[in-house]
Amino acid sequence: MAMKAAATSSPGAVQATNDDASASKLSCVKKGYILDDFVHFFVKRPIKRAPLINRGYYARWAAIRKLLLQFLDSVGPKQILSLGAGFDTTYFQLEEEGRGEVKYVELDFLEVTSRKATIIASREQLQKKVESLGTISPERGEIHSKHYMLLPVDLRDINSLEKAFECAQLDISVPTFILSECVLIYLDPDVSRAVVNWAAQKFNTAVFVVYEQYSPEDAFGQQMIKNLESRGCPLLGIHDTPSLEAKRERFTKNGWPRAVALNMDEIYRSEIDPIDRRRIERLEIFDEFEEWHMMQEHYCLAYGIKDATQGMFDNFGFGVR
Amino acid sequence: MSDLDRQIEQLKRCEPLKESEVKTLCLKAMEILVEESNVQRVDAPVTICGDIHGQFYDMKELFRVGGDCPQTNYLFLGDFVDRGFYSVETFLLLLALKVRYPDRITLIRGNHESRQITQVYGFYDECLRKYGSVNVWRYCTDIFDYLSLSALIDNRIFSVHGGLSPSITSIDQIRTIDRKQEVPHDGAMCDLLWSDPEDIEGWNLSPRGAGFLFGGNVVTTFNHANKIELICRAHQLVMEGYKWMFNNQVVTVWSAPNYCYRCGNVAAILELDEHLNKKFTVFEAAPQDARGAPSKKPAPDYFL
Repeated sequence: MAMKAAATSSPGAVQATNDDASASKLSCVKKGYILDDFVHFFVKRPIKRAPLINRGYYARWAAIRKLLLQFLDSVGPKQILSLGAGFDTTYFQLEEEGRGEVKYVELDFLEVTSRKATIIASREQLQKKVESLGTISPERGEIHSKHYMLLPVDLRDINSLEKAFECAQLDISVPTFILSECVLIYLDPDVSRAVVNWAAQKFNTAVFVVYEQYSPEDAFGQQMIKNLESRGCPLLGIHDTPSLEAKRERFTKNGWPRAVALNMDEIYRSEIDPIDRRRIERLEIFDEFEEWHMMQEHYCLAYGIKDATQGMFDNFGFGVR
Repeated sequence: MSDLDRQIEQLKRCEPLKESEVKTLCLKAMEILVEESNVQRVDAPVTICGDIHGQFYDMKELFRVGGDCPQTNYLFLGDFVDRGFYSVETFLLLLALKVRYPDRITLIRGNHESRQITQVYGFYDECLRKYGSVNVWRYCTDIFDYLSLSALIDNRIFSVHGGLSPSITSIDQIRTIDRKQEVPHDGAMCDLLWSDPEDIEGWNLSPRGAGFLFGGNVVTTFNHANKIELICRAHQLVMEGYKWMFNNQVVTVWSAPNYCYRCGNVAAILELDEHLNKKFTVFEAAPQDARGAPSKKPAPDYFL
């Protein structure tokens, strides 16, 4: 397809999406959608988001958390690897909830990890969660502790991923939950395929969870592409994986034997705990239904599964009660 | 040039009025609106417009394709404010036109013309940001209470923001509502502003938490009992700008193109001539260079 060549991606603009996401998560927390005691440390200027944005972030959080808790509930040692983690606070929240007995590795651009390390170093409530055997180095954008590792990488360079894997002492044979939220979509399609492929080679038993945009062809999709392009963070991968089928194939053609992809509208309806869904639907007046469905139909959650244990992931994922 | 004409010119440039001017304008508007019926009588020819939602430059585009007021007679079906970046300028321009040409523009109330909803969806915050106090929001929301609830065009076309109510079978029942209040959470007045047509039989609860869903058989009964041919309403985004339902007994008109600067939809207005012949004019969002300073370029939210 003939694509406009004008889409220039600016690393600063892509990194700024992290601040935007943190501010939105904080908006959710303040309204009572989600519980997170730490995200407020990472937001300079809190803003109130529209109910649609709050509900969408809730849906994403609840869906990913469902998969994450399924993974954590299995027995034995486990690892979590977050690619393009930004200011995600899941580690701190899991630690707070007493679920922190897992190696948690976060990777992002140096500019991001350095800011994250600085914030963690400056807040006692955050610092004490990483200080067991830990060192924090804001200049190098690194944190090394018993359970938590923060390391700078450039995902566009597989060598830097490889180095981070070594440095974090990730174990190829330990079951691993890989998470990538709105990250691969900003990368050149060849690069995102290489990342997916690399992960398949590095872990014997793993699930790779991706949350990101798709469906670029209709009027809403075209407008989304235009709007994000004008912010300097074009969705470089969206035409390469325009459908749920393509999101699945990115896994199955790159070393992941099984893959599932669902749109967020369906996930919200059928995968989120109905009691909690009813709770959050009462938090705010909601008058954006047509737009809500459209927006959710342009986001999906996809995951690839690789299981050398022959069984650990048999009952994992959506559609499993 | 009178003060009012000068204010209209100013608002057409998307420049808000002074707080004191807003107060005076609202007082004058109140004197006009208080005389209007809950079912305001409108004569064709008239051009019917759906939701605007503070998209000022797109409303200017609407006037460009539909013609200026008073040359064109307009009926706006509510939801002037919230969501867009220029609710203040949008509503004040419509209100100033109403005061200047009361017989050439009819404004009826949408579910967003409410104190409660505007505090969630942007108009309250916008007033606070633009004026440093909520006085303008108070003046405007006080005016909302005076807006009519519906319009009846040549006794043949019933126009309302949302739709029907199970507590209303005849249009005359609407006339008995005491409308000068905040939109209630339930009851006839609430339903008129909140309900949606849906492919069901009879009535159902609305996912919006206010109003009802009503089916084709409800519309057939209502239209027959009230000797009307059509219900014209807004309230729901339709990507093509307008949408017929139930064998042309209901039409939805949507007048906010690229809604929230995000949806990529086109908008429409419905032009009725003196014989009630219908013509939809579809239009797109105003081009970027018609939207004022680049610094005002909207940045719609996504999940990032």
